[in-house]
Amino acid sequence: MDTEIYTPLRLDEIEGSLQEEILENLGVDIETCLECGKCSGGCSNGHIFDYTPRKIVQLVKMGDEETLSGMDALWICLSCQLCLDRCPSGIDIPRILDYLREKAVKRDVRATRPNAKLFMELMLKEVRDKGRISEVPLMIRFKKKTGQYLKDAGLGFRMLLKGKLSPFPSRIQKTVGFKKLLSESASENKG
Amino acid sequence: MDIAAKTALVVGGGPAGMEAALKIGQAGFRAVLVEREPDLGGTLRKLVSSFPRWENPADLISVKVQMLEGNGNVECLTSTTLISTERSEKGFWVALRHLKNGGSRELDVDAVILATGFDLMDVSVYGEYGYGIYPNVMSSLEFEERLRTWKEGVGPMPKAVAFFKCVGSRDRSKGFPYCSRICCMYTAKQAGLVKDLFPETKVYVFYMDYRAAGKGYEEFVRDVIEKKHVRYVRGRPAKVLPENGRLLVRAEDTLMGIPVEVVVDMVVLASAIVPRAETRALAKTFGALTDEYGFIEPVPYTTMRSGERIFFAGGCGFAVETQGALQQGAAAAAEVIALFNKSEF
Repeated sequence: MDTEIYTPLRLDEIEGSLQEEILENLGVDIETCLECGKCSGGCSNGHIFDYTPRKIVQLVKMGDEETLSGMDALWICLSCQLCLDRCPSGIDIPRILDYLREKAVKRDVRATRPNAKLFMELMLKEVRDKGRISEVPLMIRFKKKTGQYLKDAGLGFRMLLKGKLSPFPSRIQKTVGFKKLLSESASENKG
Repeated sequence: MDIAAKTALVVGGGPAGMEAALKIGQAGFRAVLVEREPDLGGTLRKLVSSFPRWENPADLISVKVQMLEGNGNVECLTSTTLISTERSEKGFWVALRHLKNGGSRELDVDAVILATGFDLMDVSVYGEYGYGIYPNVMSSLEFEERLRTWKEGVGPMPKAVAFFKCVGSRDRSKGFPYCSRICCMYTAKQAGLVKDLFPETKVYVFYMDYRAAGKGYEEFVRDVIEKKHVRYVRGRPAKVLPENGRLLVRAEDTLMGIPVEVVVDMVVLASAIVPRAETRALAKTFGALTDEYGFIEPVPYTTMRSGERIFFAGGCGFAVETQGALQQGAAAAAEVIALFNKSEF
């Protein structure tokens, strides 16, 4: 969008379809958005988003799928749910992002940020295998694949000191049942 | 002297004037209500539906008219205008003229309530919006007339309609730094009505923010956006251009910071509310206080008193919605009744 910033968007030509699609498929009504920006102000990763949650909702309103599927925010959103939790209209923005991510993956749209997809896959593998994310093993696996051994090491060390990182892997007890749940939901999604 | 013989002149038969005359009559004093149009109701008569309850304004008017007619103390003079006045020892001498038969009448009154209503600014000063050049660019009051004909099934369905808010209001360069207060609400009403009549029509409201401070007002606007699906676009439109017989609106979506365009069939300008020229003249003759724009002002620490035996109510004081006009009418009547009840009077 940045490159075409001086080409006015024709509201009557593009509007509506994505917004309706999201209302229909997810039951999320973005017409209730008050445009207050509380979602963006408190977003965990808002400072490194190219489009903040409020703008993402606006882009959905404008039906700009091109920008939405190509934006960084899609891959660096932590799904921490703060935006949803704080939204005065209760708009489920993380659900919208999940939906847009799924669409982007299906269309094979790559994140512009390096390794975003790799990290996503490793993280999901961790969830699938253990039902829980253990940060340290995930980090080791990620660093092995990327070779960036020292990147963010300082931050990791500080987190370790504060007790935010456990060096030991953990898993949920009923992994078999959890996997069954996962496969059921996967087949549901396909159906 | 019999205090019940005291008479108040109410100038203007809109909701404020009707309510004022009615309350004075109900209190046992005489009221003469002067209206230059053939029917009572004022600007309210021109309106289709109302906020925040989508009621028919005609119902309110007919209730008030019935009450006025049923009250022996109130005399309603329609098609009548005030031609001259003089301050007398204990009140005013006024001369009235019937606009149709030319008959004139003089009377002495003990107090005057000005309820002369408001006007819309002349929006043709905005060359960029093309009012007066493109027939489908109209003021909000002209659009009420269009809504009425649509309701009667006359006129083609528009594919898209754009509403511009703050046309004049909050525009220092045009001399109107103030917010006209009622436009947010009536624009939401008008936009919602278009959607009710033509669900397929795209309706855009260009706004800087919407001010819905009133009981049920915020809910009303949200319903128009969320249930009637009117699209609110934040940004003050910059230009209207003709495009293949339709109108192209240029604006910035200030939420995204990008220029946007939309093609519509009709542009409705929510024009700034201004005092009538007649109000200025009347205020001068009666010695009523006015502000820098010409709206009537109250004497400090009073509600609706603007001078010696001079009171006001409704839109001549500032833009006000129907409910507020009725309340001000009642308040002005209370001031008059209090004055008439004074023992030394």
